[in-house]
This record gives sequence, structure tokens and C-alpha cells, in this order.
Amino acid sequence: MSGQEAKENWEPKIVAIVCNWCTYAGADLAGISRIQYPPNVRIIRVPCTGRINPFYVVKALQEGADGVLVSGCHPGECHYLSGNLSARRKFATLKRFLSYIGLEGDRTIFTWVSASEGERFAKVIKGVTERVTALGPANKLVKKL
Amino acid sequence: MENIQKKLREEAGRLLEEKKVDVIVGYEAGTLPATATPCFITLPEEAQKLVWNSFCTQNLAKFVHDMISQHRNAQKRVKPEDRKKKVVGVVARGCTSRSIVLCLQERQYNRDEVVILGVPCTGYVERKKLSAALGGEEVLEAIVAGDSITVKTPAGEKKLALKDALADCCLTCRFNNPVISDVMLGENAAPMDADREYEEVTAFENLPIEERWAYFEKEMAKCIRCYACRQACPSCYCAICFMDQSQPQWVGIGEDATDTQVFQLMRLYHMVGRCVDCGSCVSVCPMGVDLRKFLKKLDKDGLEMFNNRVGASMEDVPPLSAYSENDKDDFIFNP
Ligand code: SF4
Ligand code: SF4
Ligand code: FES
Repeated sequence: MSGQEAKENWEPKIVAIVCNWCTYAGADLAGISRIQYPPNVRIIRVPCTGRINPFYVVKALQEGADGVLVSGCHPGECHYLSGNLSARRKFATLKRFLSYIGLEGDRTIFTWVSASEGERFAKVIKGVTERVTALGPANKLVKKL
Repeated sequence: MENIQKKLREEAGRLLEEKKVDVIVGYEAGTLPATATPCFITLPEEAQKLVWNSFCTQNLAKFVHDMISQHRNAQKRVKPEDRKKKVVGVVARGCTSRSIVLCLQERQYNRDEVVILGVPCTGYVERKKLSAALGGEEVLEAIVAGDSITVKTPAGEKKLALKDALADCCLTCRFNNPVISDVMLGENAAPMDADREYEEVTAFENLPIEERWAYFEKEMAKCIRCYACRQACPSCYCAICFMDQSQPQWVGIGEDATDTQVFQLMRLYHMVGRCVDCGSCVSVCPMGVDLRKFLKKLDKDGLEMFNNRVGASMEDVPPLSAYSENDKDDFIFNP
């Protein structure tokens, strides 16, 4: 494949770090309901968004993810009561800081998807994929292997 | 300042004499002209070594944490009934006292394990800035008087405005007087120019995104990863730093530029609601990396988002140790 072709055929790689109890179940529901969504996400399941070290997000970007999505239960619905509330503060500050140092805001996206929102899960993935595609391949912070 | 130094020596001597503290961490004259260096004294007569002047730079809260945690670890090997408490006295200016407050909020030690000798602060001379203002000439002697500093160099005497030599963090410091103390030495110092504290950050925020990234990349490319910034930082006290972990290895140890960026990014980000802007990291950095540009942003965000000023009051809770149901949700993606 020539460089030009590679560019044209480029598809974003998106890492989705999701909590077991809501978003992962939501993804399951989307699957069972046969709702179509772009195949660009690689899902990583964690017990709760509160368990996500902000470092995971940065590390994913360094290892070549074009975008990172973090999703958990809606505020008030966390299986561990407040995991997502603590996480919200971490992600709010992380997102601001990343954009301050010059990373595009749409490379890191945070949202909530509950277990009954298969439809919303598909919409989120579609939305994220569109935004990251619009940005093109990641070129900041990416380790050349 | 002379006066404060005299009182400090008296007070330190008394505390040691009366065995109110086991050790006092303060500053003594450095080996080079116009420098001061941290020192640890355990005997009353050593109190005469202590100095307090414009060359006292490092945030001593770092050593308070180090000494108490090391002592506590050592005590684990002692029978419970024979365990002893170690009390550390510390010479603390505004930022040092805020670091102590933060450590107390983070339950690193108890209030009765530290005796705070509060000193008013009018800012410290930053070595790299002074050197730049002198065009790299060697400093043979420096005397601060009022708002000017007179420096003897091999080429002769030079008089500079003090503000050209003071650390950036001092110029706009909001807390130059201790926020807590057990003994306050001297009167509170006049306030600094705190209204302009975020000017630099706001200017940077308004740059185009590519310029911001280019600046980050350029600054981090200077870093040689000596970790002096981490060693000096009173908030960097993890027993095992993520940088030193090998399972998992968070950051590669080679020369890759992105590894350095990621190291910096994460060390900086660990300072959300935890950096007191003491400038210790900036002053120890051998490469002159502009760390403050990024640290001050975290401070600004902490204030804007959580109305938090790090270590300003014992009643506060560090923002990332808490949450509220009403925290802003505006960054949440809603397709
Ligand atoms: S002190 Fe400076 S050179 Fe050393 S690791 Fe920190 S930023 Fe890098
Ligand atoms: S990051 Fe630097 S300025 Fe902030 S508390 Fe640590 S040493 Fe002080
Ligand atoms: S369990 Fe889903 S966010 Fe905590």
C-alpha cells in the first residue's frame, strides 16, 4: 500500500474503557438487539469508572489510539455508589489539562451509558467515530514503535 | 529579616532544649555565596546555624514527610509498647505551611508530629533567574536591601531590581505568610501581586492549539529525566512512584521523546489540587524546563471547577479526594 492509499483507507482506532455494570451491559444490549455501530472500538472492561487510572487514557494515546472513550453508569447509578462521581472530577480535570497542552479535545471523550441504553451506546460509538475520523490519525504523544 | 533569624534561632534552641521536638529542619548558609541549603539540627547549640534570608529556596515540607514516614516505618519493627513518636520542627513560609496542610489533609501524619515555626516571606531569589539577569556571571556576594539586590561579580558590582531575581511563583504569590503555625516569627510580610497569578496561564490558554502543543513538546524535549523535580516536590511522596514501577512499566526508560512527555504529563497531572506553587521543582531543574506554565493551569482549574486553593485551610478537602453530585457535567459527550 502506498502512503497515499494508506491515508485514504485509514480507519480510526478507538479504545473504549467502560464499566462492567452499565456501559458494558449497554454494549451487550446493543449487540443482542442487533443495532449496528462502527467497528472501530476496542472495548476494555473495568469494574467501575472509579477504577480507571487517568493514566490508562494517556497510555492508550501514547500506544497509538486515535481516540479514547470512557463511559460508565450515569451519576447516581454507579454500582459502587460514588465511583463515577470521583471519576467525573478526574476526567474533567484531565480533559482540560490535555487540551491545555495542545491535544485535540475530541481525542478523549467521556460519557455515561446505562445498561438499558443499547441505542445510546450505538449512538455514542457512532458520534465518537465521526469526531475522531474528522481529526485524522493521532500524531501527538504517539510512540513510534 | 535579621530580626526574624535571631528569633528563629532562639525559638529553635528553646524547642530542642525543652525536648519539644526531636529535630528541626531549616536552612543554613550554602557552600556557594548567596545560597542557603536545608539543614537538620538536633542539638540546641546548633540552632545558631539557622538562617532565614532571600536565598532560602526549597520547600521543607518534603523533609517533614520523609522523616516522619521513615521513622514510622522503622517503628514497625519495635514492640508496640516501646514505640516512640518523632516530632519534627520545621521552618515554614507560606508555601511550606500549605504543603504541610495538604499532607495533614491527606492523612500523611498527625498535627502533633510537627511543630511549625512560621516565617513571613518576601520571596526567594531564583538562582537561574539571577544568573540570567547577570548574563551568566559568577556570583561572589549578593546583598538584598529593600527591593533591590546588589551582586558582586568578578567584573564588578551590579545592582538589580529584586523582582528581576525573585522566583516567578513568588512574584504573584497569594500565601506568602504561613496559613498555620505554632510559633510565628515576626510580623506578616506585605502581600505580593496575587491578582496577576493566572495572567501567564490565561495568555497560554488563548494561544492556538498547535502553538500550545509545540511549546509543550519543546519544553519537554529539554528534560533529561533526572527526576529532581519529583524528588524536590513535597506533594510527590508516593512510596513507589509510577516512574519506578516495573510491573506494569508505565513509562519506557529509553530516550523516546513521548516517554518523557508522558512522564511529565502524568507527574504534572498528579498535582491537580496538590501543587502549592512553591517553585521547588522549577528551581532544582537543571535544564530550566518551564514546569510552572503547566502546574499553574492545574491550580487555576482547581479554583475554577472546585473552588479550591491548595492547602489554604485545614477545613478543605483536596478536590480529587471528594465529589459532589452537582459537579459540572459540561464535558460529557451527549450524542
Ligand atoms: S528536574 Fe527538569 S530535567 Fe529533571 S526530570 Fe524534572 S523536568 Fe526533567
Ligand atoms: S509541583 Fe513543583 S511547585 Fe508544585 S508543589 Fe511540587 S515542587 Fe512545588
Ligand atoms: S459501576 Fe459503572 S461507573 Fe461505577
